[in-house]
Amino acid sequence: MFCLVWYKLIMKDNLTYQKTYTPAQVAAMLQLSKNTVYGLINRGEIIAKRIGKVYRIPASSIAFVFTGLDDDLVKAQQQDLEGINAIEKELARVRAGL
Amino acid sequence: MPVRAFIDSDVIIASLISQTGASHLLYNNTSQITLYISNVSHKELEKVVGRLNLDLHKLAARIQSTLHVIQLAQTIAEIKKAYQDYVTDQDDAHIVAGAKAANAQFLVTYNIKHFVANKLKQDFSIILVTPANVLQYLRSR
Repeated sequence: MFCLVWYKLIMKDNLTYQKTYTPAQVAAMLQLSKNTVYGLINRGEIIAKRIGKVYRIPASSIAFVFTGLDDDLVKAQQQDLEGINAIEKELARVRAGL
Repeated sequence: MPVRAFIDSDVIIASLISQTGASHLLYNNTSQITLYISNVSHKELEKVVGRLNLDLHKLAARIQSTLHVIQLAQTIAEIKKAYQDYVTDQDDAHIVAGAKAANAQFLVTYNIKHFVANKLKQDFSIILVTPANVLQYLRSR
């Protein structure tokens, strides 16, 4: 029973970790060559982590593939959206009375 | 050459509330983008800022320093009639009028569903976008 609870806790923790990709996977997604992806990593255009001899690229580095937006812009948009309903509500009231 | 963008009032208000939100980040790119509002949206901004207890001075400073104000000559009734096909809610028609008067390439808003995107593009060559979308576009230029 304890092992089951411990297993579930470990798996839940792992699920919050961000997914990572190999350069080959990113190359396929972006329809680029692997060499181009390594070049982008070297120039800092794709942020990757070198682990031993291999690179792993976090999903946030290629966020635009999934959302159409760079990761920082996704977060910036989310900040705005937190308060947008209240703004739209007041704006609608004022516009109706113009 | 800077792109021309007409900014809906919800984006302006959002930029007053959050300095790290996408709306506020638009102001960091004024070398690449010229931002417009209209005299009608200026009037509604002052009312909304008051109702939300935000800083009117901050709005005034923002308008003076970064936004160009287009004057719409038509009455609200005339604007609603002229632009009713471009909006799903006629109360938003003056935003389309302002974007057209500004000869804007982009209409920047969070209220995407209130505008008829394909008709704006087809008739006026105006692209409907959120602030983050236009920022992404500017990064790719």
